[in-house]
This record gives sequence, C-alpha cells and structure tokens, in this order.
Amino acid sequence: MEDQATIMNAESILESRGVTRRSFMKLCAGVAAAAGLSQLAIPRIAEAIEESVIGATSGDLYPVIWIEGASCTGCTESFAQIETPDVASVVLDIISLNYSETLSAAAGYSVEEAKAQTIAAGNYILIYEGAVLENWGGEALRAAGETGIESLVHAAEGANAVVAVGSCAVNGGWMAAAPNPSGAIGVQQCLKNEGIDTPVINIPGCPVNPEWVMGVLVDVVLLKDPSLIKLNSFSEPAALFDQTIHDNCERRGHFENGEFVYEFGSEEEAKGYCLYPLGCRGPQTKALCGVTLWNNRRSWCVQAGSPCIGCCEANPNNPGDNWVEVNAPFYKRFRDLNIGSFKFQPEPAAWILTGIVALALVVHGFGMKATGRMDGGAPFEPIRKWDKEHPNQSIGTYANSETGGPVLSAEITEENTMHPVAAEDVVVEDYEQEVGGGTE
Amino acid sequence: MAHLAHYREAHPMVFVITHWINLVCMILLIFTGFIIHYPFIAGIMGICRGVHVFCGFVLFVNCVFRVIASFIVKTSPTGGTRKQDTDIKSWLPQKDNRHQALQWIKYYLFLKKDHPLGAKLGVPQKLSYLLIPFLIFIMFWTGLCLWAPTMNVACFAGTTELVGGAMSMRIIHYYFMFVFIIFMFIHIYLANVEGTAPTKLMFFHKEHGGLVYDPELHNIVGEDLDPHKDK
Repeated sequence: MEDQATIMNAESILESRGVTRRSFMKLCAGVAAAAGLSQLAIPRIAEAIEESVIGATSGDLYPVIWIEGASCTGCTESFAQIETPDVASVVLDIISLNYSETLSAAAGYSVEEAKAQTIAAGNYILIYEGAVLENWGGEALRAAGETGIESLVHAAEGANAVVAVGSCAVNGGWMAAAPNPSGAIGVQQCLKNEGIDTPVINIPGCPVNPEWVMGVLVDVVLLKDPSLIKLNSFSEPAALFDQTIHDNCERRGHFENGEFVYEFGSEEEAKGYCLYPLGCRGPQTKALCGVTLWNNRRSWCVQAGSPCIGCCEANPNNPGDNWVEVNAPFYKRFRDLNIGSFKFQPEPAAWILTGIVALALVVHGFGMKATGRMDGGAPFEPIRKWDKEHPNQSIGTYANSETGGPVLSAEITEENTMHPVAAEDVVVEDYEQEVGGGTE
Repeated sequence: MAHLAHYREAHPMVFVITHWINLVCMILLIFTGFIIHYPFIAGIMGICRGVHVFCGFVLFVNCVFRVIASFIVKTSPTGGTRKQDTDIKSWLPQKDNRHQALQWIKYYLFLKKDHPLGAKLGVPQKLSYLLIPFLIFIMFWTGLCLWAPTMNVACFAGTTELVGGAMSMRIIHYYFMFVFIIFMFIHIYLANVEGTAPTKLMFFHKEHGGLVYDPELHNIVGEDLDPHKDK
C-alpha cells in the first residue's frame, strides 16, 4: 500500500505540470478564499504545500478514504469535476486517495484491501458521502460484505477526522425526506449513536461544492491544524455556513429596491431581478454559494436564473430538518405542512381560519342587534349567579342579598364620580327596571 | 343604557399613548410583514423591512414599558368609578372576575340575557389581554431568530434548531401574526359592539356618562349621566 510519496523538487514538479510560480501562488490564494481564510494565510498555505508535499524529501501524503453511503455519487462527481488544473493536480498529489468506489482505478478485492490496510495503519481522514441507512438492520445498504453502518463505524473509529460531504451525509438529506422508509440519518448522528467520538466536519450542499471540500482538506490535511477551522454549532466551517445566501446574493440590490420576478419568462426575469417571490430560499439558507460560486467560479444557481432551493439546509442532529422536507415545494414561499398524508400550504389555512372568525363575528353582530344589545349592551344582572347561590361567600354587596339589585347611594356615588351628585343620578325612573330587567 | 360610565381614570394618558403605539406598530408590522412574506406591491421591500424591524423593537419596548408601568401607574379597577388602584391589580384576575367566566361566555353565546356584573375587563377579555405581552414577546423572539444580524446569536440559533429550522420558524412567525389579526378582529368588535364609548375614551380620552360602580361593593351604586355637568 502506498500512503507515502517522495517528491524531490517542487519547482520541477510544478513545471512539469505547466504550473508557474505565479499561478501556484494564485492557487494558494484561491485555496485561502475557498477555506474562508484571510489573505494572511496564503504564505502559510504555500509553505505547507511546498514543505509537506512538493518539496519534501520524504513525502507526507495524507491518506484519505472516501466512502459512499446512500448517495447518488453527485458529490464525488462534483469533486471530480473541479477543473482548475492547478487545484486538481495538487489536491490529487497532496492526499493519497486510497479508497474511493468511483475514483479509484482498482476495484473489488484489491481496493477493499487498500482500505483495510489504510485503516490498520491509522492517521487518515475519512470522507463520507451519502446518508447512513438505519432501517432493516442497516441492510438497505451493503458493500463488500459490510452494511453501510458497519462500513462507516469501522472506518471512522481510527480516523483523525470524518468529513461528511453533501447534505445526505450531514443529516440524511433528501434520503431522509418523508416517508424515509430506509431510516436515513447523517454521519454525525450515526457516530453519536454508536458512541464514536471522532470529530466530524459537516459540509452540506447537494451536491457539495468542491471548493469547500478543498478548503477543509487544506485546513485539516495540509496545515495540520484543525483549529484553523472554526466550526459552528452544526460542526460546519463557520466561515462557509454562518451567513445566508441572501446576505451575499448578487441580486440583493433588486430585493432591497423591491424589484422582483413574479413569473418565469417575464420581462423582470430578463432584467435579472430578485427571485424571492418564486420561492427563493436564500434568506433562510446559510452557505457561501454566492461568493464561492460553482463550476470553477463561473456561475451559480441564482446567477443562472434559478431561485435557491436551500440544498445546504441540514441540521446534523435532526434528519427531519433536511433540505427537501423543509423546502418543498421549491417555488412556493412556504413548505407544505402535513397532517397525516394530507398536505396543505400554511397561507390558505391561516386565511380560512381568520375568515371563519370574521364571519362568526358578523353573525354574532346580527345576534347582538337582534337582542338589542348594541346600544349599551344588555341590562346588568341584578345579582351574580355565584352570589345568589352562595350568599355567605358573596362577592358583591346588594340591596337585597337574595334578589340583588344596586346599592343606590348618593354618598358612594359621589365618592366614585368625585363630583357632586344630582338627585336624578341616584334615582332614575326606569333604572330599577333596567337593572333588574333581565333574567337568566 | 346599561353600560358603566367611562372615566379617564380608567385609562390614564400614559396608557392612551402606549395603546396608540401598539395600534400603529401592529398595523404597520402586519402590513409590512405581508409584504416581506410576499411582495405583492413591488418597490417597497426596502422600506418595509426597515419599518418592520423598527416597529418590532418599538412594540417590544412599549410592551415592556407597559408591563413595568402597570406596577406603578394607578388606574380605575372597574368602569363607572374614578377611584384608582395599581393597574396590575385590574390587569391580573381580580375579585370582580371571580366565578364570572362561564357567565361571560354564556352572555356572549346569548344563553344569558343580562350583562354580567364585572370588573374593568370581562373574563375572556382579561385572559386575552394577559396573553398579549407573551404574544408580543414570542413575535419579537421569533423575529430575531429570522433577522440576519441576530439569527446566529446562540439563543436565537438554538430556538431555530429547536423548532426544526428557519422554515418552521418563518411559519410560526407567520401564524402568530394571524393570532394577532384574529385578536384584533375580536378586540375591535367587542370594544365597539355595545357602543363606541370605550373606543372614544381609549383613543381620545373622551368621557361618557353611565352607571356608577363601586369597586369595593362590587355593585352599581348610582348613575352619572353627564360627568362634566355642573351639578
């Protein structure tokens, strides 16, 4: 098994690949940006790459195992399609990708053997792509005689760190969307359940942005200083996932101006207005897409004219908070709510309920009119029901403790009105009748 | 005429002002909230977000002030009197409310013909007013969970995680707005259905004559047809 490399001359290696010193430094700047590091980190990155890989007399390639769980291989594809020659070349030279179902040239026994040897040797990084399937005893996924869970646990136990790439690996992703028959969960939760405390770094996305993987690999593998990666409460690199897509969106100006696309194919769409009314999830999805961009920084979803569908939404502790479950239907402002198998949009439900209340008040108003209560309400009860039934615990004081009635008093009235009382204020002709006018 | 006299002592000027602030803020928050949810009027998103955030803070601060003031300011514990006591006593359930909840419900459902004797606030009214500060707090909190400058603060991020993510938080914030809308419908209806005197007093401090009620006897003691007539 080869997990060491010996490269004698950094300059010649770079030259042989057609990489000038200038473009190498540009690469380092790109890596710093992708990793969310400041420009000050560029010399450290260059030094690390040169010393640990290119210029090292005895190479120090970091062994990496890339396991696919329940995945569509989209994240591998995404990573493999990174085409900036410098980045791809150097990355493939700085890590020793000892196992990858898709990228390894070897297959079958030999590649499984390579994985086993890498695990036995230790000091490696595990990259895990795809969800972990719990149901049916984990039998929903089986490769090389192991269930998906066994495969993950086996490889994660001895790893220095596990990098969960893609939303499926973070919390099950779309695999975990209802009804989730295979019981898909994320890597972090699985390892927690299995009692394995290997640190997990989550990089959501569907697929994962290759430059983010690059950034994390640079931090963990090259700089050998994982503390450089400040993780948030979801164990995601904070520099990549603590701001919303909305915060860095190139269409944000149109949002603030109130210039929106209300339907596809419209004049507003041609003008590149904000896609918010079409269900854009940018304001609630935290990722750096608008800065990192995709396809070698050429474009990204919103630039290409699609509202963000929130593929980076992934709470590693809650498979239910997966990006499909919480964002579908993508072109509506809200997700669907479910009562059993019945799905509905929150907005009409709220309006219908409010409409029913308003209607009930109108009907009630007719009732109030019909009972003559609109001009001051009905006459007061002569005695509280409780007081009538419990004269010993009476709340009020009445003219008559059994039949009730007001305690008419000029003195007390004056105390309450704080001005002199006229005779008619205490004895009103139809007063008694009104006060005692209603019976229950 | 069976309603109690409406005296300014029931709603001192400071509470007239806080009520105005509540009204203006809630209407602006609801309108701008609808625009922020779905910009059905183009061109005003920026101003709506500014107004929404501003009014959110004003409403919350106003609510905190109102609660604190209720322990300091004196108000009439019932209609029909100028006697005053600390406001919180009539905001919380008081002796006048005891055993009257069912009577109020029966009255509103036309199962009881005469008007329950009671405090400044009827029982259902009092329960809803007690809920309002909590509702304002929930709206303030969920709003801060959604607002970019505060969404990553640990307590707000933790709440968002607890409810299942930002989408769930948005729906909760949206639904609680409808709780406010429904409250306002019922509140405006009940405050005015038996006459506009309570509204005139609350908004314009205009007094209105009526029956006089003694908060110690818990009963009607006379009538004051014109509070400002020189007698």
